[in-house]
Amino acid sequence: MLLLSDIFEDLLDSIIVDVASESHRIARLGLDRNLDEEEEELRLSAEARARASNPSHSGETNGKYVVDIFGQTHPAIANEIFECMNCGRSIMAGRFAPHLEKCMGKGRKARLKSTRSTTAAQNRYSRGSPLSSQSRFSNSTTINRLSNGSSGIAGHEYSNGKLEEL
Amino acid sequence: MSRRHSVNRPPTPDVQDDDDDRAKEPTLVEIVNIKLIESGEKERLMELVRERLVECGWKDEMRALCRAFIKKNGRDNVTVDDLVRAITPKGRASIPDSVKAELLQKIRTFLVSVAY
Repeated sequence: MLLLSDIFEDLLDSIIVDVASESHRIARLGLDRNLDEEEEELRLSAEARARASNPSHSGETNGKYVVDIFGQTHPAIANEIFECMNCGRSIMAGRFAPHLEKCMGKGRKARLKSTRSTTAAQNRYSRGSPLSSQSRFSNSTTINRLSNGSSGIAGHEYSNGKLEEL
Repeated sequence: MSRRHSVNRPPTPDVQDDDDDRAKEPTLVEIVNIKLIESGEKERLMELVRERLVECGWKDEMRALCRAFIKKNGRDNVTVDDLVRAITPKGRASIPDSVKAELLQKIRTFLVSVAY
């Protein structure tokens, strides 16, 4: 039936135009990496990448420092010094995280103060000296408060155990 | 401007007064086409065919043909119409039979449904 094939042809032609249009767009916008000029670019970028990963260049083996794309070098450990807001000590920026861990008592060391007095709550700078009581994070029936300085930092308290009303 | 337009469109037909007098009858193909579009069936069919043609690799073949054509003629000298003209014969010929059969079947069903 001729009508049938006409409709079929019409549909097909539309789809062909779609494909042609898409290819045309990709070609004109230079998005196709396979045309000849792009192959040249590919080769160049591959060369550049090889050069960049070449260890004899200013890579990590150049002294201790890595050179970034602006030509700047940065030491492996950030060395700006500032004051810890928890304990007040002067800390190196690159050593701040481990310091905070100890300072705020995340570690297993007996850093938790199980203090019961409310005055301790007002003491914002604890020296971190451990009290004798067993201080565990969880499963403890005694009051466990993390070192009180933590409330100074975040504005709220960390408590892992039950917080008994005083 | 010596630059060719990317797409050549026929100029908008001028309105002619005697057309109203002659009352051109829409052809059967035109009527069916309108029905296809109005019911949304045309869109569905096109989506279906696009999907099938991608699955069977027809679209990739066509795009490879386009790329070859563009490479040969220089990518800034090619218009959409050039590409269409270049790939249509091969495109029509390389439709897989199964896809063609499926499409014809669907069109036939549609025609039957609108005929009554």
